[in-house]
Amino acid sequence: MQDSAPVVAARKGAGITQGWLLLGVGLAMLAAMLVLTIFAPLVAPYDPSVTSPDSLAPASAAHWLGTDSIGRDVLSRLIVGGRTTLLITVSAVLIALVAGLILGLAAGYLGGRTDEIIMRLLDVVFAFPVLLLAIAVVAALGPSVPNLILTIAIVYTPAMARVVRAPVLSVKQWDHVEAARSVGMSEMRLVLRHILPIVVSPILVATSLTLSQTIFTVTALSFLGLGPPPPDPNWGGMLSEARQFMELAPLTVVGPALAIVFATLTFIIIANGLREVLDVGSVR
Amino acid sequence: MTGSLLRVSDLTATVTTRREVIQAVRGISFDINADEAVGFVGESGCGKSVTAKALMRLAPEGASIGLGGSVAFWGQELLGLGEDEMRDLRGRRIAMVFQDPMTSLNPVMSIGAQMSDMLRRHLGLSAKAARERSVELLDLVGIPDPARRVDDFPHQFSGGQRQRVMIAIAISCEPDLLIADEPTTALDVTVQAQILRLLLRLREERGMALMLITHDFGVVAGMVDRVNVMYRGEIVEAGPVDDVFARPQHAYTRALLDAVPRLQGAGAVR
Amino acid sequence: MTRFVLGRLAWMAAILLGVSFVAFMLMRAIPGDFAIAAAGSQSVAPEVLATIRRDLGLDQPLMAQYLSWLGAALTGDFGKSFVTRQPVLGELLNRLIVTIQLTLLAAVIAAVMGVASGLAAARLRGATDWLVRLWNGLMLAVPNYVVATLIVLLFGLYFPEITVLGYTPFLESPLGNLASLLLPAIALALAVSVTIAENTRAAVLEVANQDFVMVARAKGLTPAAILRDYLMRNALTPVITAAGLKIAALLGGSILVETIFAIPGMGQYLFDSINSRDYPVIQAIVLVAAGIVVLVNTMIDIAYARVDARVQM
Repeated sequence: MQDSAPVVAARKGAGITQGWLLLGVGLAMLAAMLVLTIFAPLVAPYDPSVTSPDSLAPASAAHWLGTDSIGRDVLSRLIVGGRTTLLITVSAVLIALVAGLILGLAAGYLGGRTDEIIMRLLDVVFAFPVLLLAIAVVAALGPSVPNLILTIAIVYTPAMARVVRAPVLSVKQWDHVEAARSVGMSEMRLVLRHILPIVVSPILVATSLTLSQTIFTVTALSFLGLGPPPPDPNWGGMLSEARQFMELAPLTVVGPALAIVFATLTFIIIANGLREVLDVGSVR
Repeated sequence: MTGSLLRVSDLTATVTTRREVIQAVRGISFDINADEAVGFVGESGCGKSVTAKALMRLAPEGASIGLGGSVAFWGQELLGLGEDEMRDLRGRRIAMVFQDPMTSLNPVMSIGAQMSDMLRRHLGLSAKAARERSVELLDLVGIPDPARRVDDFPHQFSGGQRQRVMIAIAISCEPDLLIADEPTTALDVTVQAQILRLLLRLREERGMALMLITHDFGVVAGMVDRVNVMYRGEIVEAGPVDDVFARPQHAYTRALLDAVPRLQGAGAVR
Repeated sequence: MTRFVLGRLAWMAAILLGVSFVAFMLMRAIPGDFAIAAAGSQSVAPEVLATIRRDLGLDQPLMAQYLSWLGAALTGDFGKSFVTRQPVLGELLNRLIVTIQLTLLAAVIAAVMGVASGLAAARLRGATDWLVRLWNGLMLAVPNYVVATLIVLLFGLYFPEITVLGYTPFLESPLGNLASLLLPAIALALAVSVTIAENTRAAVLEVANQDFVMVARAKGLTPAAILRDYLMRNALTPVITAAGLKIAALLGGSILVETIFAIPGMGQYLFDSINSRDYPVIQAIVLVAAGIVVLVNTMIDIAYARVDARVQM
């Protein structure tokens, strides 16, 4: 039976507008970050690797965020370091995404034995604390930008595969998939036309959440000395280097700390915005 | 005890949720005398449930409710009462049985604990006395082996038994008015009749007033003295139950009556 | 029930086997010669390297190496440190105790903070809800090592007389032990408390919508009684489960926080071992930490299933 009570006033659909607002803010933050880092060499006021006798200088017109312990400009290092950090983050997540898509689609769509084997193997990787596994892999492979990307990709692939698999499993039962199959649509087209679009929303949300977690893992590895080798700057490494002298030059710590928080926040905001706009339930 | 137990005049209820504002009850007036059973009939969303909750000043969770008009209980105006005084009244003087017994009991508390907490709160019983009283009440509503079952958890009871437990809870503090909001809707047909008979028996034994809310004219037949038909937040027809059955005035009432299977007839609790 | 428990335990054993294999293979995947790494120097006489190879069993087939390593590990023999030449186990146990102390303290802090703020947000709504969610949203973006670094920085700048670095053993001074772990534990707990707060908030909001809460109100119970017996008792089961699963995050986070606060736990041990390329130690820590996580998760699974069997929502 229908609700026959007269509705006096419908209140604003708060969810939708708030979602778009979050998404807009997040994308704007991302755009700002990308522009700064892509054009880093042009934007950075100094060469990030050039030292000067003016070490641990406070903020000034010449050095907005001061200089570090061997006189390098902190702002320039932040901008150029962001390039390395974001490059590793984004490429690693993209690889994890593709690997997760392949594994998740295969597991969910083929089902049975294949599903069992793929998911069980991923469970083993999933059993490790993320950071610990990343540390072990990088320690084994040796720290370099390609190795870091590979490591992070390995670490986050199981989570991605899980996110892909769940909706595939449920979509598979749907009638229109059956219908498409009955009219002889090829398996490949079936997956691309009918299954992929349904799984895209949760994947988008999960990807941006994973990006925020990856920022954490990448910078944490660099913080532990497992980041890209010096002298190229990166946020985690800068934070770690700055700790020794931080009471003399707090900005050397605050700068990279804020950058890390800003980047993480960007992806979290985008994830939440996407979640509301796409009306995806809580992922994970 | 006779006389006007509850006198409701021009009651309005506006429910405000996050999404919308609903004028659920739009100026209704009715009386319930002590010792009387009154039925409220209407389709879902007609405002009958909100009326029941309004009498106890309960807002649906996540919504706020704005009340207007007057609700006099034994001559005392309830709408102006403080929350503490209202709380003393709920369960003690006006009690309620809800629609779905499967979700109305707390899954992680034993039946006895859920009966005792109210007995202790309103009657100031000791834990031991409250437990003994709970066993008596379970026996009264027809739960077999009550001394053992009092420590069982809700999931160990069937739907009908759970509704019996809910009724036991509702009558435990001997309220003056029992509001039963669709008490049989969620139950099997055979169990429905048992629950209705139990309500009828308890009402006669204890002499409490009953407000029976339902969408089903078949349920009020033989249960109540008078009936109010609600539609879109208003009472569109009121009168002695036999009159309404025999000579429905409002088109909506006729439609509701037509929905009752003929062979049940009027005036019979199955 | 017994079948379920046995199934979970068998599954746990399988995962641990997989985990041990990964831990073993990772350390065999290091670039260059494992024997050279073991010798700790590039310029070693070939005869010495041959001896090392034989001692470590590197001349055996890979599977045989794995099995003998696994067999030794099961009896607590994780080999000898490349640096100290001492058995790994003794030092590892000392470190593990410290890390467990830190992790447990952090878990308690996170649970108290998380449940309290999540509950406040869900019940009070309005401005409180808004503030808690804003705080949660922000804190989610602040990694624990940044929090730790900033705590050290702030104390260094404003309270230089307070020692925030270092560790006092429990036997030396129980109170000093607690004091030395408090700030690291807070740094570690913050991010986890945010998750617990969000979970609590969601669980309480969901339970609040249940009919039995309306029934409890209609019974005239006091808000405190409703909160305690009806809301919290129902909301806490999923919250505890989610919180238990965060043990992994706490263990992972302790690597960073211990390093920053100079706490001689397993995390700092790992950090030192990475810098000195002490592979047997890295291997042992990875195995033990992953093992703890798998163990804890399995226990939570079983406990949750038991609660579920009793309650059956």
